[in-house]
Amino acid sequence: MQYKSSILTWLRSDGRHFQIIAQISFLLYGVLLLGWDADWRNYLAIFSGVLLCQALAIRFAGYPIDSMKSAAITGLGLSLLMKANDPWLYLFAAMMAIGMKFISKVNGKHLWNPANFGIVMAALLSGDAWISPGQWGSSAVIVFIVGTAGLAVLSNIKRLETGVAFLLTFASLDYARTVLYLGWENDVYLLKLSSGSLWLFSFFMITDPMSTPNNRKLRIVWAIAVGCISFYLASFKFVNGAPFWTLFFLTPLTPLLDSISKNQLSFSWKRSSTQPSTNH
Amino acid sequence: MKQFISLVIWTAALFVTHNANAFCGFYVAKADATLFNNKSEVIMVRNGNHNVITMSSDFKGDLSEFAMVVPVPVVIAEKNIRVVERRIFDVLNDYSAPRLVNYYDNNPCGYDMRMYEDSYSMAGVPAMAKEEVATKKSSNELGVRIEAQYDVDEYNIIILSAKESDGLQIWLETNGYKVPETARQVLAPYVKSNMKFFLVKVNLDKVKDRTSEYLRPIQISFDHAKFMLPLRLGMANSNGSQDMIVYALTTEGRVECTNYRTVKMPTDRHIPLYVQPKFGQFYKSLFEKTYKQEGRNAVFLEYAWNVSPYTAVKCDPCVGPPPVNYDFVDAGVDWITQGNFNPTIFFTRLHVRYSRDKFPADLQFQVTPNNENFQCRYVMTYPASGSDFTCDEGQEYLVDLYNRRKLEVDELSALTGWSAAEGSGYIREYNKHINAKTRESQRNEGVPATIHNQLPRPWIVAALLIAVFAVLFYSANRRRALS
Repeated sequence: MQYKSSILTWLRSDGRHFQIIAQISFLLYGVLLLGWDADWRNYLAIFSGVLLCQALAIRFAGYPIDSMKSAAITGLGLSLLMKANDPWLYLFAAMMAIGMKFISKVNGKHLWNPANFGIVMAALLSGDAWISPGQWGSSAVIVFIVGTAGLAVLSNIKRLETGVAFLLTFASLDYARTVLYLGWENDVYLLKLSSGSLWLFSFFMITDPMSTPNNRKLRIVWAIAVGCISFYLASFKFVNGAPFWTLFFLTPLTPLLDSISKNQLSFSWKRSSTQPSTNH
Repeated sequence: MKQFISLVIWTAALFVTHNANAFCGFYVAKADATLFNNKSEVIMVRNGNHNVITMSSDFKGDLSEFAMVVPVPVVIAEKNIRVVERRIFDVLNDYSAPRLVNYYDNNPCGYDMRMYEDSYSMAGVPAMAKEEVATKKSSNELGVRIEAQYDVDEYNIIILSAKESDGLQIWLETNGYKVPETARQVLAPYVKSNMKFFLVKVNLDKVKDRTSEYLRPIQISFDHAKFMLPLRLGMANSNGSQDMIVYALTTEGRVECTNYRTVKMPTDRHIPLYVQPKFGQFYKSLFEKTYKQEGRNAVFLEYAWNVSPYTAVKCDPCVGPPPVNYDFVDAGVDWITQGNFNPTIFFTRLHVRYSRDKFPADLQFQVTPNNENFQCRYVMTYPASGSDFTCDEGQEYLVDLYNRRKLEVDELSALTGWSAAEGSGYIREYNKHINAKTRESQRNEGVPATIHNQLPRPWIVAALLIAVFAVLFYSANRRRALS
């Protein structure tokens, strides 16, 4: 029992621990049960890229050693979302993701979510990377797993409302259009809503405290904006992976939103940390 | 011990199914004849936002009863509607169909002078028919508007837009399109999505024989960001599940589904020789089993290859002559003709078995840069010829052969669910050549099987991740201990 409780304490001591475990579970689910094409070279490229870059930052820029956890999360995010033709592109995306954190630093935070930035850069610059919104299928089980595990991550780091605000906005707009206006049956709507990619986005990407506003109310407004724009792009412009692209364009607004709400302390991963600054 | 001497190829005359089949629209019978649409084929060409869609039907029956309704995103101009020959479907189907490959072992105790013959190609492709058209004017009161009306070869085509679905339904019914109950429910969402309705009937005056002739495929092209196939109307008059084969040609890479999983069919599996005469049946069972395993709601990848004219190898092995430039042009590939000397053409073949309960929404697609080749390939290995296996290597070969065949039979039953009992004689066929000495040593050793024992990649990944996790765990704990 002693041992068990020490693991729990460890898990709760840092929101990223849950996040890492949850993302590893999703990756295993995808590779082992859904039969994704899992070329170990790709994962090797991703993890060596993120971990090496972060190690350099720790050595030369004085980042704390446990910022490695953030790098691992970025690596897992890339593994879950990104597809590319060449292992080198995975390495490139990984390095872009971590490199961005040091280059676009504003008030201890960064302008983009690292995994989001890495994939968008690889896709735009090479044209040989993409995301597969359909890769999760729609089995209800995955929604459950992603949802609950996501809640665990968030309840620990007080960012639950961001994901929920986004998801509620997106889901209700889509319900209004798909079911109420167009008149499709409920299962057409549920199929859309049970997309694993949507849930993963809601609980693991838009909730990134390092690229979202500090002020809670502003953050919710911001998440609602992401939801509205994603819905518009998906429903009227037929953009695949719309939330993902929307996020890329809206996270850079964060410093602006933070500057109009000066009174908020910036985020720290540690639960009882007294340091005001970030260790991301 | 095994040498690959030559290949023999087979394709399957798969999915030889029922009478009629629909594309994404529905067929409506004026008479109450029950029509099933159990299999359909469609060619989708996508270049940026430009779409060319070719729809083929294997409608059989009196052509005066043929009528098809397909939702399309825009009004299509007459010049963008063509009637093409069925041949193009045959070319694409033959070329991308799941294939059977034969390999031959060398006799380790002598020379093997066998030659290889058979090369079967075939492919079950449908026949067509045709018919008449009669369209009455719609009344404006129904909120239905005839956007365009064309005679294109043997077809009469009307493009309708509608303000509301009830009016559309009445219009269709008064004009001889019998709308099935299931289709009525989905007319409204299409009307509200501002889709147009592409109506096709056969002009009986232009058809020689009302019953026996082929209905040629219709090809439409238009520019629109939507990349989808409207399945729901096609489900209208079908019982249970329907099959659809999609041949997609793009400038970039593979086409994949964005609202359902796209799953690769099992490939490169070694199967017993006795499957050869029933290869079509084998693939059907394999598909059925895989489809159920994946939850009946996945889209299956059967072929993906860069078939650009300049690439040398387009398949391994090739089932038939590859499609050539004019085949692609017929299919709607327009980027070959624009003075482009090095066009990329990527060919994806998808197989969907859909039913109302598992595929509630229309199929949405995306073109990805994924240029990895894929084909459904099943391997048969013929044993060495001759009856002299007395040398040591020969005896070793026979033991390997025995073990290999055991694995083939197991593989077959895992893939298709067929009973392994059928293979017992096959497994032991060559045991009579194994001498007493070898038998004795085998009894002591228990020769291990040799095929398919490599560590599957997913486990490597799992191990890698667990290692990463362990390092993180360790470093976190160590840090806490220090502080």
